[in-house]
Amino acid sequence: MSGFVAVTLLLAAPLLLAAAGELLLERAGSIQIGLEGTMLIGAFAAFAAARSGANPHAALLAAAGAGLVAGAAFAAFAVAGRADPILVGTAWNLVAAGGTAFSYRLLAGATGSVLEIRTLPPFVFGLPAAVVGAFLVPAVLQVFLQRTRPGLRLVAAGENPLALEAMGGSVVFVRTAASVLAGALGALGGALLVLTVSPTFVEGVTAGRGFLALALVVFARWKPLRLVPGALLVGGATALQYRLQAGGGTRIPYAVFLALPGLLALFALAAARGRGGAPKALGTPAPRRRAISPRPP
Amino acid sequence: MKREPFARRLAIVAVAFSVAAGALVVLALLAGASPVDALGALAEGAAGSRAALGETLARATTLVLTALGASLAFRAGVLNIGLEGQFLAGAVAAAAVGPLLSGAPLVARAALLAAAAAAGALWVLPAAWLEARRGVPEVLSTILLNLVAAAAVSGLVRGALQDPAGDYPQSRALAEAVRFAPLVAGSRATAAILIAVALALLVALVLERTPLGLKLRATGLAPAAARAIGLPGARLRLLAFAASGALAGLAGGLEVLAVTGRLYDPFSAGAGYTGIAAALLGGSNPLAAAASAVLFAGLGAGSSAMQRDTGVPGALATIVPGVLVLAVLAARARQTGNEP
Repeated sequence: MSGFVAVTLLLAAPLLLAAAGELLLERAGSIQIGLEGTMLIGAFAAFAAARSGANPHAALLAAAGAGLVAGAAFAAFAVAGRADPILVGTAWNLVAAGGTAFSYRLLAGATGSVLEIRTLPPFVFGLPAAVVGAFLVPAVLQVFLQRTRPGLRLVAAGENPLALEAMGGSVVFVRTAASVLAGALGALGGALLVLTVSPTFVEGVTAGRGFLALALVVFARWKPLRLVPGALLVGGATALQYRLQAGGGTRIPYAVFLALPGLLALFALAAARGRGGAPKALGTPAPRRRAISPRPP
Repeated sequence: MKREPFARRLAIVAVAFSVAAGALVVLALLAGASPVDALGALAEGAAGSRAALGETLARATTLVLTALGASLAFRAGVLNIGLEGQFLAGAVAAAAVGPLLSGAPLVARAALLAAAAAAGALWVLPAAWLEARRGVPEVLSTILLNLVAAAAVSGLVRGALQDPAGDYPQSRALAEAVRFAPLVAGSRATAAILIAVALALLVALVLERTPLGLKLRATGLAPAAARAIGLPGARLRLLAFAASGALAGLAGGLEVLAVTGRLYDPFSAGAGYTGIAAALLGGSNPLAAAASAVLFAGLGAGSSAMQRDTGVPGALATIVPGVLVLAVLAARARQTGNEP
């Protein structure tokens, strides 16, 4: 496989995983704008595990574990605690960026030397299995949301939470589960970054990819399969940018490509009617039980 | 933004500060330092000398202005998360206009700051338009505009705004005569902090003591009721958008004018996000938000000294504001959860 296509796929995979997790959470009606922070947590967890002797696959698992915990922590504040998810997410980014930078400095000391880790071994076409797997996630998600009972309940939590509660479901439970999964996927995305393209951790290694993934969800209008072209576009643009930089060519397209996903998502939102296909209850707190129970006489 | 009685807010802030103090101690212990030494070095680095205080005040300007922008928007019910982008837009305007200016410093500075504020306000307009006309949540659009702004800065300092005298990705420097000089020798604090304090008082006055402020708050508190009594909700929201964008843009302009003298990449160390944290800690009250911003600035200045003296990583200055906000959110959720 030619180098350019391989690099495009490598760069698209972390975005795809993170965006798929975010899409799941948003379809359930919550939103984590601190996805950048979750990706950083995953990247650091994978790095720390690999530095302490874990093989790359175990490092990936460690990141997923850290992501599960991160997703549960977010849900504790924003779902069960019913705090505004936007505000929680803003604080989340600060804590994650600071926390990973703090931990990295403790682990690496002030030496400033680059601590390399082993990358994932190639599986097919020179790509690691996890990268190939990332491209299956949107399809799995599509089937899950459209064809399975838990998937439909998740969609109900995002579109009409009261209806789900009236059916005896728990919006808090569904959104918490979605948040835990989204945390794991976001952390895996971050981990994939340090286990493939850049085999070390630096402060802010995710470089805005969490925000790009947020934009991708909007661009895909909350439909899982539509994440793939968006992620490939961004991955391809970044790969092209690497190539141009390596070739010493003009660096102006760099900014254009950097701005492209955000601009595309803005245009997608502008072109769409209403909220552009966003879940109707996106960002609203889970209803309290007494809100729907009949009033006592 | 929901308002709470003063006593309740005080209780929430007390809880949050206890949590943050606990976090400070734990982080110092994790780094293998004595918490007493670490906190001592932090305090010393934030306010222990004229230079330290100057550093805190120099950092505070940006944070106070972005915190004010966030407070004003939140009080009017506008969730402007894009202060980072508006800050960058202001810095770009300052870097574009600045090197062209010469002559009377006062006029040049006023022109530069006006351009920065206008750029900040302009940068938020797409979000305001999308929200008003297309129902797009401003949270999404303002975050996307942050991305675009960061990309634009990255491109501009390598393209149209690049200093032709060097290969570095940075813009031309402002003339020394135009830049702010330190207020007192041996300190980095400039008149910029005075502008920030004056604006804090002005925003507080307008928001809390004028009919316009009342209208803005009413629109934020109870949009339906505000509409019912005939308030122009759409226009008030647009005003809140533009004013908060202008404040963040001004912060970017002042950063160039008073601190850096030029634009480079990456330019912001998260001023927009930390400003939002300060606003949340201050309950979106302009003066409390400004005080929180000064506190965070001191934390930033002090943590550099702490890292140098005790080896506790300075990233602590990013963690603690986040922890404070999370603690406030959790405490508030608990209290409202107990309401009948």
